[in-house]
Amino acid sequence: MSNVLRPYLSAVRSTLTAALTLESFSSQVVERHNKPEVEARGSKEVLLNPLTISRNENERVLIEPSVNSIRMSIKIKQADEIERILCHKFTRFMMQRAESFVVLRRKPVPGYDISFLITNVHSETMLKHKVVDFIIQFMEEVDREISEMKLSLNARARTVAESYLTAFTS
Amino acid sequence: MILLESHNVIIQTTLTDKAVKPSYLDVLFVDFDGVRFHLSTPEKKTVVQLSMNIRSWDELAAYGALDVLRREYGSLIRAQTEPEYNISLDIDLEQLPANEASREAFIKSISLLKRNALAAPFELAFRQQKTLEASGSSLGDLMQIHYRDEEAIYVRASPDRVTVIFSTIFREETDRIFGKVFLQEFVDARRQPSIQNAPQVLYTNRDPPLEIRDVPGLRDSEDIGYVTFVLFPRHFAKPDVSYNTVSHIQLFRDYLHYHIKCSKAYMHSRMRHRVAEFQKILNRAKTEVATTERKTVTGRTMVVR
Amino acid sequence: MSVPEVYSIAQTPVTCHAFNANRSQVALSLNDNKAYIYVNQGEGWAVTETLAEHDKAITSIDWAPASNRIVTASQDRNAYVWSQSPDPLTGALVWKPTLVLLRINRAATFVRWSPNEDKFAVASGARAIAICSFDPENNWWVAKQLKKPIRSTVLSVDWHPNNVLLAAGSADMKARVFSAYIKDVDKRPTPTVWGEKLPFNTICGEYASPAGGWVHAVGFSPSGDVLAFASHDSSINIVYPGGPTIYNIRISTLPYVTLTWTTEGSIVAAGHDCQPMVFSGSEAGWALVGTLDDTTSGGTKFTAKTGTVGRLNSTAFNTFRNADTRGHAGGGDVVGDTELLTVHQNTITSVRPYEVGRDGAVKRVSTSGVDGKLVIWDVAAVSVGGVAGRLGAMRI
Repeated sequence: MSNVLRPYLSAVRSTLTAALTLESFSSQVVERHNKPEVEARGSKEVLLNPLTISRNENERVLIEPSVNSIRMSIKIKQADEIERILCHKFTRFMMQRAESFVVLRRKPVPGYDISFLITNVHSETMLKHKVVDFIIQFMEEVDREISEMKLSLNARARTVAESYLTAFTS
Repeated sequence: MILLESHNVIIQTTLTDKAVKPSYLDVLFVDFDGVRFHLSTPEKKTVVQLSMNIRSWDELAAYGALDVLRREYGSLIRAQTEPEYNISLDIDLEQLPANEASREAFIKSISLLKRNALAAPFELAFRQQKTLEASGSSLGDLMQIHYRDEEAIYVRASPDRVTVIFSTIFREETDRIFGKVFLQEFVDARRQPSIQNAPQVLYTNRDPPLEIRDVPGLRDSEDIGYVTFVLFPRHFAKPDVSYNTVSHIQLFRDYLHYHIKCSKAYMHSRMRHRVAEFQKILNRAKTEVATTERKTVTGRTMVVR
Repeated sequence: MSVPEVYSIAQTPVTCHAFNANRSQVALSLNDNKAYIYVNQGEGWAVTETLAEHDKAITSIDWAPASNRIVTASQDRNAYVWSQSPDPLTGALVWKPTLVLLRINRAATFVRWSPNEDKFAVASGARAIAICSFDPENNWWVAKQLKKPIRSTVLSVDWHPNNVLLAAGSADMKARVFSAYIKDVDKRPTPTVWGEKLPFNTICGEYASPAGGWVHAVGFSPSGDVLAFASHDSSINIVYPGGPTIYNIRISTLPYVTLTWTTEGSIVAAGHDCQPMVFSGSEAGWALVGTLDDTTSGGTKFTAKTGTVGRLNSTAFNTFRNADTRGHAGGGDVVGDTELLTVHQNTITSVRPYEVGRDGAVKRVSTSGVDGKLVIWDVAAVSVGGVAGRLGAMRI
């Protein structure tokens, strides 16, 4: 982890750990239902204040906690058009595999690139601290992956251009 | 394989095989830019007929394609072109050169059929440049080759240069952005001392370059790009250099798109790998190690107490 | 005795647990619609009976020690009282359910027998608490509801030793003390610090933690004169109603969801932090003492044997499978992987007294957790290390 990123990620980690204090909570609105309150928004008192952790205007995290579920949305750094398209491709690729990533939401919250929905069922079947590890590692690696993809694209473009033009001079 | 080859591998390998062991044959295949080929033995198995259909044949013929092909293939060209095709060649396998090296060269030249057809406008432009330079008059005619739907090559000779403009369409936004990255590199690459002699490359997105601005029917949308190559006499003064330049430049569009596709495929496999890695990290959180449910023959589950 | 007894009951969460009088049996809910009775077999616990009547997840169980009856509450809006009776055919004792007419239309969230075992309270998501008593004429349990002024799901209840007062913690951020006086059942209660005249549904007190937060757990002290509640703002509040004085202890870790008094001056609380913590104090003030889970010593940890049985349980197989699905390289730890050093590896769902000494003080407590473990702790084995030690250092 680069030192620049560390305070940001540790802030996200602590907030996420604190938000992941979930319990089974049956709906107060519909009988015999049990649904993520952060999505259903049926009872106001079981929702906590949403929280934004932002590193700069392009990189931020929104955490919306509630009694039995939290929604976490990430805005990934996109400096230019290439990073934007790579980020879009990557998040779409992941969200198409949302069944295997049980905590992934199929659609991001507006204004963000990718969203996770963690419910009390997830915190029961998985170790809470490892889920936090997963999200932190995701945040850490997605930036690196996108910049590496961008570099490899530029490197390929340069090689391609040079070999094409070199052929004219031979 | 970074560079694309200008000859057609199927023609080359098929003919090489048949030269050794003739047999009946009927193959249909395609090359870049929707060019269709038909290899067949309509009469006897030692005479192979090769026909080609090319989209912009009428334009090419107007710029002297038939002359170029006659020069290259001479008597091989059939008087009677196969229906639905633009040109047909007859290759008599018994008349092939006996010498192995010259036989290979002959087959190679046959497999360059498409390249030679497309070379006509360029060769014409190179000749025009020479006459323009000698006479000191202004501009040659603008030649247009609509070699694909919505995409075209424009060639124009000037007293001191030949300008080749490609228009190309990027169907997806990803292609457009990747294309921009690649073309920017083409523009920048000439800064390198080793390739300073290469043709100058200009790239514009959406707005057509000045040379073809008055051509009717140009598309005006975000997904179109124009690439201009400026060829100076040093690129076509000597016959072998000129030959190289022509083979090379006509494949530019295919080369660009081929590498864009390659990049996308690479990104995809990279993402697949990365997502699998993320999956592993998430799996670490799962407490339940997948228990294999064991069942007896009658379908009852075995319970461990 | 200082080493906690750890039993891995299941791979699924243990939502709640309740021991019988002599601690030889325990009723558990494994986050599904059945209650399981486990019997102590020396080495571990084994299921002997399954109480299946609910059709949604059971949220709470209580076992009346004297009358040997179990009450279960579930998200299917029902509660059942289970009592043992001989089977007419075999003569063996079996658990028979009796439906309770709760008259609530949302999930039942929490249930507790009153100290005299003639009533029980069912908390619910219908913004009400049902006080159930037995009606011998009709041979069923009838409910009377405490409604005002609850404005959200009731998360927990606790009975005052006088069998009349009831404390309730609710998601509307308040802990309240009600009177649950039922005319036909209860004798006129003697005055307490909470009030003198106590008709049904009298509000004897309403408290909130300064920062707000859902009240997850409430508990009366053994004498009944002090109330403690844990709320979601990571604090424990101790209420002396006479003053009234409220001590608010804020902690730097995750919120507690359950608590129990061990003596008049000490509390064990546990929750999302995965370890039981001990608080002690008196009317003069309260403070965090330490944890029962000595995370610093490490070595004495039980590593419960989990996983599959039979031919797929070889170490080599597991090593390769972990390398494949989890990216672990041969048992070694991967960078960026957090390990919890506590006995419980996930939220503790409930802490209850396990062994009461002759002087009335609780000697041992039991906890159940989302990680499927049941642990019995010695209350005396408080370790000042861990969190408390770090807090101490901060004060300097």
